[in-house]
Amino acid sequence: MTATLSEFRQRAKTAIEDVRLQGALDGGTGKLWEMRRLTFEELPNSDALRDHFKAIRSATLRNLVEHLETFEKNATAAGANVHWARDGTDAREIVISIAQEHGVKLVTKSKSMATEEIHLNEALAEVGVEAIETDLGEYIVQLAEETPSHIIAPAIHKTRHEAAELLGRESGRSLSPDDLTTLTGEARKLLRKRFLTAGMGISGGNMIVAETGSVVLVTNEGNARMVTSVPPVHIAVVGIEKIIPTWDAAAIWLSLLARSASGQPLSIYTSVITGPSRAGDPDGTGEVHIVLLDNGRSELVGTKYEEVLQCIRCGACLNVCPVYREAGGHSYDSPYPGPIGAVVTPLLLGRENYEALPHASSLCGACKEVCPVRIDLPRMLLELRADQVAERTIPWKERKAEEAGAFVFKHEKLMRFMTNAARLAQRPFSRDGKLHLPQRLNPALERQLPALAKRSFREMWKSGELEEK
Amino acid sequence: MEEVELKMTQSKRVALCVTCLVDQVVPEIGVATVQLLRRAGYEVEFPEAQTCCGQPFFNSGFREQATDLAKRTVEIFEPFEAVVLPSGSCAAMIRVEYPHLLEEWPEWQHRAEELAAKTYELSEFLVNYADWIPRGDFEEIRLTYHDSCHMCRLLGLRDEPRQLLERVGGRISEMSESDRCCGFGGLFSVRMPEVSNAMTAEKLHQACDAGVEALVTSDPGCLTQMRGLTEGSSIKVEHIATVLEEVTR
Amino acid sequence: MSAREEILERLRRKASNVEMPGAWQSQRNFPDLAERFTASLTAVRGEVRRAENLEAALVEVGTILEEVSAKTVVANNESPLSDVALAERWPECAWHIVGQSSGDLREFCAGADVGLSGVEAALAETGSLVVHSGVGKSRLATLLPPVHIALVPVSCLAPDIFTWTASRNQEAPMPSNLNLISGPSKSADIEFTLTLGVHGPKRLVAVLYE
Repeated sequence: MTATLSEFRQRAKTAIEDVRLQGALDGGTGKLWEMRRLTFEELPNSDALRDHFKAIRSATLRNLVEHLETFEKNATAAGANVHWARDGTDAREIVISIAQEHGVKLVTKSKSMATEEIHLNEALAEVGVEAIETDLGEYIVQLAEETPSHIIAPAIHKTRHEAAELLGRESGRSLSPDDLTTLTGEARKLLRKRFLTAGMGISGGNMIVAETGSVVLVTNEGNARMVTSVPPVHIAVVGIEKIIPTWDAAAIWLSLLARSASGQPLSIYTSVITGPSRAGDPDGTGEVHIVLLDNGRSELVGTKYEEVLQCIRCGACLNVCPVYREAGGHSYDSPYPGPIGAVVTPLLLGRENYEALPHASSLCGACKEVCPVRIDLPRMLLELRADQVAERTIPWKERKAEEAGAFVFKHEKLMRFMTNAARLAQRPFSRDGKLHLPQRLNPALERQLPALAKRSFREMWKSGELEEK
Repeated sequence: MEEVELKMTQSKRVALCVTCLVDQVVPEIGVATVQLLRRAGYEVEFPEAQTCCGQPFFNSGFREQATDLAKRTVEIFEPFEAVVLPSGSCAAMIRVEYPHLLEEWPEWQHRAEELAAKTYELSEFLVNYADWIPRGDFEEIRLTYHDSCHMCRLLGLRDEPRQLLERVGGRISEMSESDRCCGFGGLFSVRMPEVSNAMTAEKLHQACDAGVEALVTSDPGCLTQMRGLTEGSSIKVEHIATVLEEVTR
Repeated sequence: MSAREEILERLRRKASNVEMPGAWQSQRNFPDLAERFTASLTAVRGEVRRAENLEAALVEVGTILEEVSAKTVVANNESPLSDVALAERWPECAWHIVGQSSGDLREFCAGADVGLSGVEAALAETGSLVVHSGVGKSRLATLLPPVHIALVPVSCLAPDIFTWTASRNQEAPMPSNLNLISGPSKSADIEFTLTLGVHGPKRLVAVLYE
């Protein structure tokens, strides 16, 4: 997966020309955003709550080691197996070996960003284990052999017609796109069968709570409950930054997550898993494994990018991002799209693979404003850009142009000379204050760039014509 | 919003930081700014050595170049008691970014903070410091206002331009998402022109839906960006300075 | 070095101690918890039936069983259900009492029309039910059947999630499975149109009694 500048532009162009997708993006993000606004208005003192929570997240990351050790101790005491994964390879090996140990052929999965990040499904397929996504949106995306395009609304880019066709193909029935109840009923049937036959459930973790060693999962459909209660084995793959010390703090996380993500005061189901079934439990999971995934996160601790680890993956920044709302999620070619993706993807999945992402922003700042933990994403995009310049990974031509530009601006006389020369050069194209360039010469494509004015302000000032009368 | 303690200016002299874009591309905004400041009772100075505040370089990650231009700008404007810019974005660069950018050099950082404390965006200056209340019978102008990103999010200025427009007969019909980015973002607009243009088209669409003839903004960058896609459209994109200057003439 | 040591060592080198902010104090003060609970759960398409006492609540349960023409019902063996002779009261239904009835619980749940449970607590602000796993408490009983009926005593209402976590007994171990249920199963994954019952129960009825 990569996003060079030309790849990003090409994918964005396709998305922008797709009228239907544009409608879905506008409608979907607009609705989520509006619902978010309403639930925050209803929450007393929400600004103070966000500040309070940011302080908790920040303090937790400063001493991650202590909280992780506490978590490990408590989860182990509750009977869970805690595994540590340096990277995707480690994590995939851990999951595969557990699957093989139990002779698992079918896995049901509850939506998880971390397993998308490490391409777990592909790895399982290679060893003959089928992994079925059970979040309705993810299931539709999986049937279409695509990837999710939004953190919390993975199938935001699919229509009901496509959903009807995909689900119909799977169930061998013809389904009407206009009857959503039947459509979801069909998905319920298809997936219910899978839940009851799967040998293992795999989930992510919205958070892990150190004081009790619990994994917390949040869904609206109830698929995380299925995945963690029905099959005999449950594996949760969780990024090490998703830890919260106490239940008091976890309550804030849950409250802000649901409000920011989908404008709900709480998600429909908050499932807390503390080890496997106990003696006397009538049902549940016989084994619980928790894979703590690093994959570049610990490297960010203590750097100027540490703040990005405070993210709770609510997706609110996507819904307000004017770039995401035009380019859609697939332009980023990462499990993490939008503003948070533009920062976290290069940092976790390789800057060299995603050189365009730090530039996929007009730095408007809407993301920072809406973020429940107020992560300063624009600042981090600026830092990533500065790193590219410092590491000389930007095109040579661009470097020279920027350096030359700055040199000109450092010398007022030279600036006057250069702008006057440009005035002469633009003459054939300049009309009504705009440059009417032939399209192949116009870097702004169909938008007309502004022309230089006939006379600059400084020239008018110097001539004395602006003097006070 | 970054908090900068602004010093109330006692003197009736201000320096105009016209911005490179206004100087070279839309000088009429500079002319209008000078007239407005004079009507508000100020003597305007224009330090001729000024060029660019460095924001384009800063936004592209060229820190060294941005730093040089920032130091140069600090030197040029620090002798004055107040600096006014007809651009929310450049004002935010000086007010919010300079002190960070120069933090490696405590002496320069201190000077940048001093400058930040006396730097104002035009509408903010006219409303909060000059308390300029133009007199006259104004004809009603129906318009909508675009909140430029850095002005509303970094400087927290949303009411000031609206107050000014209303003082001269403006009747503002708010467009939906008045603070949604216009698509400019400096070099972003040519680095990713497809996305940038789609953002601008969306902005103009929302402005047209407000049912007005004029779309007013306080940032020359947004202005030229939006004008670039208005061919064939009925909406006129105007800078707040030229609108105010014309009706208070 | 093991992955564990490598990760922890790297973090240890960079760790510093910063004071952790205390618990957030709930800002909620609802004049009538039952009213708020009812409004909130109803807003997310859950249903609330009010009853004057446990007996009236059971009458309400009977009405619902009739409404949905329940033939098979799974019931958790917990307060207040454990004191009720369910099968005798509603002999027209086939019952599975968790921990008492013989037969495969999972299979029964998968085919049951209704799951009946009590709750550990309920949150007024969000209309949430707190259910635990444990002796007599099945996870599947509240999950697999298309209808979930919960008996909720008014005395167990807490104002919101913050007061609930604050009242948590830190000495008591967490159950292996705890769920906060705040409405019937829902999805908006197809064109942001709400549908109910995609995986969990399509109907959630809380019978709130004094």
